[in-house]
Formats: sequence, structure tokens, C-alpha cells
Amino acid sequence: MTDLTFLALATVTIASAILALEARDLVYGAAALGITFLGMSGLFFLLDASYVATFQIAVYIGAVVVLILFTVMLVGPQMGEPPMELKRLSLLTALLVSLLLGTAGSLTSATAFPGPDNCGTGCDLIGLSKTLINQYGVPLEFLSLVLAAAVIGALTLAKADRKG
Amino acid sequence: MLLGIGIYGLTTKRNALRILFSIELIYNAANLNIIAFARLRDPPIVTGQVLVLFTIALAAMEASVGLAIIMLVSRLNVDIDLRKLTRLKG
Repeated sequence: MTDLTFLALATVTIASAILALEARDLVYGAAALGITFLGMSGLFFLLDASYVATFQIAVYIGAVVVLILFTVMLVGPQMGEPPMELKRLSLLTALLVSLLLGTAGSLTSATAFPGPDNCGTGCDLIGLSKTLINQYGVPLEFLSLVLAAAVIGALTLAKADRKG
Repeated sequence: MLLGIGIYGLTTKRNALRILFSIELIYNAANLNIIAFARLRDPPIVTGQVLVLFTIALAAMEASVGLAIIMLVSRLNVDIDLRKLTRLKG
């Protein structure tokens, strides 16, 4: 049962990831990216990381996809991609991608990583929050500082164009 | 697999927004790997989830700043074809 769910989620995620890159319209690509993030969140749920999965939905789909849609609307309609030109760079990337796919396929066999069925204390929310506050409290504060810096930077970028 | 798709998109696409899509895909692939490896240890540890919380937040911030840059560039020039934006000045 879990295998079937995993297969379905993985197929949806990979298909929409390819669609996000190859769609003619940027808006379709952004929507496909949102579906990719949704599939990723489902995979996180399967891996007993429920808080991270909810966080992913809230941050990625709620914020990043919305930002991308706003930018796509503000940048304006772009022309589609030109027809495929056979270049050395694309051949190299195709080789790299096929290598990665082969490695991934060999590693995802069921006997490669036998994990424990019951997650125990490694995945529950209480342990996560305790670790986050006790051991990683300082990086958490730094994360908020970086967030403030990013917001200030984005606002400065938006303002500089208005003045200049 | 997502990593392969992300790298392919990063190197072959000319539109700057598509490149941002590929960067987000690479982020997600890395996050999935981190969580999977943290879960499949014996006994499973929670450090992977903590790290992924941080990386999700950082990726969202970086995407927002990158989007602001793309929007500004598109206001100055006409198109966001990255093969033509090769000069740093102007």
C-alpha cells in the first residue's frame, strides 16, 4: 500500500517537474511547479516528516509559487522557447541526467535502504521541537535575521528602480 | 531524479524564470534526500527534519530576492533571455 502511494506521488512529482520546465507558458510552468511541491509534500508525509511537510506546503506553495506568479504577471508575456538545438552543452547535460537517473534507479530498490518500520522518537513533533529549541536555537535566531535581511534587500531593490 | 531534471533545466533553459524553477527543483531534491536519509537510519534521527526546515526557509528567501532581481532586469531591458544578458554593466 505504501509502495503504491509512493509510486503515484513520485510519478506526479516528476511529471509536473518536467512540465514546469517544458511548458510553453510561464504560468503553466508555475502551476506545475506548485503541483511538484504538493507531490514533494506528500512524499515528506510518507517519510513520517509531517511537520516539515506542512511547512513545505505553507512556505513553498503559499509563498514561493505566489511570488513566482506575481513576477510572471509583472514581467509580462514572454516568447516560448526556440526549437531544440543540438549543442554540446545539452548533450553533456543529457548524459549527466541519465547517469543520475541510473544511479537513482539502482538505489531505490527495496532492499537498498531497509529502514525501521516504526519511527519511534526520531520523527515525532515533540522531539523535533525540543531539538530545534535546545540545540539549534542560535541558528534559529540567525535565520530570522537572514529573513529580515532578505526582506530589506528585496524592498531596496524595488525602491531603487522607482527612484532611478 | 529531481536533481537530474533540475540540472538539465538549469543548463539548457534560456528564460531566467525557468532557471529559477530549476533551482527550486534542485532545492526540493536535496531536501527529499536529507529527510529520506535521516528517516532511514536505525534508529531514525530528527536532525534531518531540522535541517530541512532551515533549508526550506532559506530557499524561499533566496527565491524572493532572485525574483526581485529578475523583475528589475525585465524593467530595464525588454526580455529576460539569459544568453543575451551577458554583460554586467548597464
